[in-house]
Amino acid sequence: MDSRNFTVILALLAVVVISFNSLFIVKQTERAVMLKFGEVVNPDVPPGLHVKVPFMNTVRKFERRILTLDAPTQRFLTVEKKPLDVDFYAKWKVSDTQKFYTATNGEEIRADALLAQRINTGLRNKFGERTFHEVVSGERDLLMTDLTRDLNTITVNEFGIELVDVRVKRIDLPSQVSQSVFDRMKSEREREAREHRSTGRELAEKIRATADRQRTIIAANAYRDAQIIRGEGDAMSARTYAAAYNANPEFYAFVRSLRAYKDSFGGDGDMLVLDSDSDFFRYLKEGAGKR
Amino acid sequence: MAWNEPGGGNDKDPWGGKDQGPPDLDEALKKLQERLNKLFGTGKKGGGSGKGGSDFQLGGSALVVIAVIAVFVWGLFGFYQVDQQERAVVLRLGVYHSTVLPGLRWNPPLIDEVTKINVTKVRAASSRGQMLTEDENIVDIALSVQYTVNDPANFLLKVKSPELSLEHALESALRHVVGSSKMDQVITEGREEIAVATQQRLQTYLDAYQSGIQVAKVNIEDAQPPSQVQDAFDDVTRAKEDRERLKNEAEAYANGIIPEARGAAQRQLEEAQAYKEQVIAEAEGEAQRFTQLLAEYQRAPNVTRERLYIDAMQDFYGKSSKVMVDVDGGSNMMYLPLDKLMEKSSAARAERSQEVDIRELTDKVIEQLRRDSQGSRREGR
Repeated sequence: MDSRNFTVILALLAVVVISFNSLFIVKQTERAVMLKFGEVVNPDVPPGLHVKVPFMNTVRKFERRILTLDAPTQRFLTVEKKPLDVDFYAKWKVSDTQKFYTATNGEEIRADALLAQRINTGLRNKFGERTFHEVVSGERDLLMTDLTRDLNTITVNEFGIELVDVRVKRIDLPSQVSQSVFDRMKSEREREAREHRSTGRELAEKIRATADRQRTIIAANAYRDAQIIRGEGDAMSARTYAAAYNANPEFYAFVRSLRAYKDSFGGDGDMLVLDSDSDFFRYLKEGAGKR
Repeated sequence: MAWNEPGGGNDKDPWGGKDQGPPDLDEALKKLQERLNKLFGTGKKGGGSGKGGSDFQLGGSALVVIAVIAVFVWGLFGFYQVDQQERAVVLRLGVYHSTVLPGLRWNPPLIDEVTKINVTKVRAASSRGQMLTEDENIVDIALSVQYTVNDPANFLLKVKSPELSLEHALESALRHVVGSSKMDQVITEGREEIAVATQQRLQTYLDAYQSGIQVAKVNIEDAQPPSQVQDAFDDVTRAKEDRERLKNEAEAYANGIIPEARGAAQRQLEEAQAYKEQVIAEAEGEAQRFTQLLAEYQRAPNVTRERLYIDAMQDFYGKSSKVMVDVDGGSNMMYLPLDKLMEKSSAARAERSQEVDIRELTDKVIEQLRRDSQGSRREGR
């Protein structure tokens, strides 16, 4: 009775073990190849539950998702032999499981290494035929799409790997070169600073000069206008005088002379030496007695 | 029922309250066994099988009970809840089945694999470094990116490490954009443009990888010239300030002198105007005075003339020192100590107290002169 029970349980266990061994799940994130004694019989097992014959079939699973290859920094030369430290990454995925399995034994690390070598060579060539400027700014996209396309045909054919994308992360000058760039940047800034300062002085001088000019012009104009006004006054007064004095020029001369005498000799302490014959003294000399 | 038991804790069990209280496990098992025994027993009896069947029945029924319990436990493990922040990605036997919305959910355990992914949490990544610009300068940039997972299935199933991919793509996109920009643009007004361009480029990359990531915002936190050249850049800023300062000073100077000049000009004009009015008025006045005087003169010319003459003479002779010389034909030698006289008169000016003396002296001199001239006349006669 006990032994019967035992065999039943044993049999059940065996069934379970065998069924576990003959069933396998390929996840959505995986791809798989099924081998029959080492020979590929199903190169691409779709996701889901599948059956295999235990011990005869083996299953190798690979990553279906996009994988990242992050390469270490490499030094490349541009066409003008300028060294650049370049850091890139590549995105790839398994496209042909059979080829991938045969080429890399299904190991991602080996695939990474193979890809890195190929991309390295490709990048080296692409950099070698471009100038520094083109690499840094102008043709980054083009360079990358070119490289991806070129390499893709090879990697798909040889490794069963589809290169989704190759991107350059860093493109930097080596540290020794960086220092000279910094020096140049510094000198450019110094130049700029000097320019700003001298432009400031220039502007200031211009403003001052303009102001001085305006001042001079204002003063000159004012002088001119003032003289014109004075002249008008002089002319008007001359006309007025002339109009009046023309009535009797002789009398004018007389009156005017008298005033001039007054003004000229009126000072305190002036000394006059007089001849008594002058008309003024005629009565002084002759006296009333003469009359 | 006995089912409730393995759920652990009757309170938590969703169906706990529904049945007849918390039955003991052993008791329940016993009951079940009895019932099953009855069932099998009658069956066996009907079948006419021998003894020993009860043993087998016992073992068989135990297995069934275990199986039922196992199924129950299995079923219980299938419950899970999805938070409002989350979506759950369900793989059925490895194949993508569905993306599940928030709520209480049940999926058969072991057959379905459920992964919950937060889709509302704003995640962040940042990057900082020195990079080359288009004009071969080097700038120091720090930026951060905020993103959410907008497609949990892709996030989980299409890329192996989406977060790392984002960091790589971010660095590549940023350096690309900076490498296509001029340094001045990067460190000054172009920041926002660079953030926008980086965001677009990054999103393109991430979409190409089907990473299921939606970039919400790229922030340029800091964009500066590298520390090695910071001083020079600061000096440029100072130089710009200096330029403005010099300009302002000059403008201050201009603003100072031009109004002053305008004022001075106005003064000159006003003075000229004043002069003009003055001379015209004076001329008119004098002319009028003369004209009126002339009218009177014409009425009595000789008298007026004489009067004017004498008035004038009086006016100025009266004020000054006088020396009268009565010389006839100048035949006599005459000596006038003019310098002495002048000295005297100046001394008189200095000391008003001596005025009288000088007058006396002058009188004496005049007297003397007169006597002399009279004497010579007499002699001449």
